[in-house]
Amino acid sequence: MARDEAALAELYDRYRVILFGLLMRILSNREEAEDVLQEVFLQVWRRAADFDANRGRPFTWLVTMTRSRGIDRLRTLAARERVAIAGARDESEAVSDAASDAFRSEQRGLVTSALAQLPDEQKRPLMLAYFDGLTQSEIAARLGAPLGTVKTRMRTGMMKLRELLAGKDASFGF
Amino acid sequence: MGHDDYKEMIPAHALSALDASDEGALNEHLATCAECRRDVAEWEATAASLALGAKPMEPSPQVREKILTGIRSEEPSLAGRSLSEKSGSEKSGFNVIPFGPTPRNLWNSLGSLGSIAAVILFAALIVGIVVLWQQNRRLRQENELVQILSSPGARLKELKGTTEAPGASAKMVFDSTGRALLIASGLPRPPQGKEYQLWFIEPKRAPRPGKTFSTDSAGRGQLEERIFEVDQEYSVFAITLEPAGGVKSPTGAIYLRSDL
Repeated sequence: MARDEAALAELYDRYRVILFGLLMRILSNREEAEDVLQEVFLQVWRRAADFDANRGRPFTWLVTMTRSRGIDRLRTLAARERVAIAGARDESEAVSDAASDAFRSEQRGLVTSALAQLPDEQKRPLMLAYFDGLTQSEIAARLGAPLGTVKTRMRTGMMKLRELLAGKDASFGF
Repeated sequence: MGHDDYKEMIPAHALSALDASDEGALNEHLATCAECRRDVAEWEATAASLALGAKPMEPSPQVREKILTGIRSEEPSLAGRSLSEKSGSEKSGFNVIPFGPTPRNLWNSLGSLGSIAAVILFAALIVGIVVLWQQNRRLRQENELVQILSSPGARLKELKGTTEAPGASAKMVFDSTGRALLIASGLPRPPQGKEYQLWFIEPKRAPRPGKTFSTDSAGRGQLEERIFEVDQEYSVFAITLEPAGGVKSPTGAIYLRSDL
């Protein structure tokens, strides 16, 4: 195996369960999620030179790229009305023991704990934005809340999330 | 709006949740405010942590194989090198296999004419491989173009060079599944640290960014994209010169654009 290829393979092995979990949460469709995951790593291969460690960690870079591709695919699929997004979540294949070991469960615990501490009125707008790709106006319409209220709740929720993760941030370097 | 108003918009920007008008206004501000640009990077890290709120799941083993097969069919990349050099394998936690050392003094080690001849032959071989690879790449592009054009509902849009590049032109082909390919020619080679970027421009909305591409020495470049139906119908496509990797709001001159 070529050396560059080995580096990419290792990157994949390290992050696949996180990124695939993210894509499954966005797309709720295993086939589409695997297709996007494949696209993401091909994009990583083509655009690795664009990665700038001064602007963020590899984790942030990868997750941002994956989420963006996932939301793009979600919109394409929704536009074509090809998937029923509200369909049952495909959780038939739980993460393997080995993958669990590889996955930094500690960091996940910190995030889920932080999210659990957010009031639902702040957490829902964040979830709708991050996993469903909705804009603030769309979230306001979805929740039946005034736009200004949604903006305030999102900002407050993000600030609280950052505060709860502050000091633990070093462990998110992966 | 003032600086503080823009600063308050950044958390939502990191979630890409701003409405188009707010996003456009913030991007204009970001172009001139280093403090807010730093804030963006911090809030993006916070937003990325939300990914850990999703349940980790195992993709099928075939995905890994498909990715590795996919990269083998592409040009040799500096992917591993770039990642390891730029982030530092220790700092990032990557355990990237190091590249071998380069010869320290090549000419001292080439003491004989035979060695020089071998080097010339080797160089010729490399040139031959590169030429073959370029031909193969062009064939792949043409094949892909034909595939998209022969798909049901395939369409073609032409982009014309602006005063920045009067001799440039491009064709964008896309099919009903959203698969699209842009092939450009006659573009000047981007300067170091710059790339061309695609934009989707709709009336009364901020331009939305597409992917970036570079060109070869002959001024040819190509880009694969996915294009929503709404963009196929209503968007003007434009190509600008931007910092490598792309930006969220256009900052450079337009080199190519389509008509509606």
